[in-house]
Amino acid sequence: MSNHKALNMFGRSGNPALKADTCSQSARGTSSSGGIQSMDSATMTLQGTVNKTGILLALVVLSATYTWNLFFEGGAGAVMPIAIGGAIVGFIFALITIFKKQWAGTTAPIYALAEGLFLGAISGIFEAQYPGIVIQAVGLTLGTLASLLFLYKTGIVKPTENFRLMITSATMGIALLYLVSMAMNMFGSGGIGFIHSNGLFGIGFSLFVVAIAALNLVLDFDFIEQGSEMGAPKYMEWFGAFSLMVTLIWLYLEMLRLLAKLRSR
Amino acid sequence: MDANTIIFGGISILSLAVFFYLGRFRASTKQRNREDRIDWSSRKFSLWKIFLYSLVAVGGIVLLTQFF
Repeated sequence: MSNHKALNMFGRSGNPALKADTCSQSARGTSSSGGIQSMDSATMTLQGTVNKTGILLALVVLSATYTWNLFFEGGAGAVMPIAIGGAIVGFIFALITIFKKQWAGTTAPIYALAEGLFLGAISGIFEAQYPGIVIQAVGLTLGTLASLLFLYKTGIVKPTENFRLMITSATMGIALLYLVSMAMNMFGSGGIGFIHSNGLFGIGFSLFVVAIAALNLVLDFDFIEQGSEMGAPKYMEWFGAFSLMVTLIWLYLEMLRLLAKLRSR
Repeated sequence: MDANTIIFGGISILSLAVFFYLGRFRASTKQRNREDRIDWSSRKFSLWKIFLYSLVAVGGIVLLTQFF
C-alpha cells in the first residue's frame, strides 16, 4: 500500500485507520522482538510520540508556572480571567485537534499552553487552601501514568473491544453527569450534590472517576502502540501525544478534587 | 523542603523517568499477539450503544445516591 493511499485512509476515518494492510508500511520501522524503535521516516513511531508528549508536558508546566506565580502575587481576581480564557481556548483547540488530526502539530501545543494557564491558576487556588496538595496530585498522576504504562507494556492489562466499550461509556456517563450538574448550577438549583460532597459517597464517586480516567490511559497507550505498528502518518505522533495529555490533565484535576475532599473532612 | 515535597517530588521524577524510558519500547508479544486486540480502524459498538450504556451508568449512580 502506498504512503499516499495510507494518508487518504487516515484522512477519511473518524478514528485512525489502523488496518492490517497498512502493516507493510510500518515494517521498515518496527522491530519484531520488542526492541527500541529508532526509525527516522514519515511514519508514526513510539519514540517520536514520547518526545512529543514531553514537549506538550513542558509547555503545560511553562504556562502553568506563569498563572501560578500570578495567583500568589495578585490573588484569584488577577488570575481568573486568564484561567477561564485558557480553559475556553484549550477546549476550542482540543475540538480542532480531534476533528483535524493533520493540524495536531500546531493545535496540540496551543492546547497545552492554554490548558497550562488554566491548570496553574486552579492549582494555585487548591494550594492556597490545602498546602502541599499540588505536589501530591502531580506525584499521584505521574505515578499512575508510569504504573499503567508498565502494566500495559508487560501485557498484564489487556485492552479489548469490551474494555473500550466499558471505559468509553463510563467516560461519557461522567461527562453527562458533569454537564447536568453544570446546567443545574447555571439555573440556580445547586448542581448534583454528591459530585462535590466530601462524604463517603462523594469520595467514592471521585475514586470511580479517577479509576476511569486512569483506565483511559490504557486506551491511549494501545492507540499509540497500534498507530506506530501500522505505520500511521507522522502527524499522528502529535495526535497520540495530545490524547495522552487530555487524559493526563483530566486525571490530574480529578486527583486534585479527590485529595481536596479527603483533606476537607 | 518538607517530607511531602521530597516524597511526592521523588515519585514524580521517578515516574517521568519510567515513562520516557519504557515509552520507547514495543509492548510485549503477549500484548501484541492477541486475537482480541482493539481494532482502532472501526467501531465494533455503535455510538448509540455507548450512549445507552452511559445512560445506564448515570442512572445507576443516581439510584445509588437514593440509597446512601
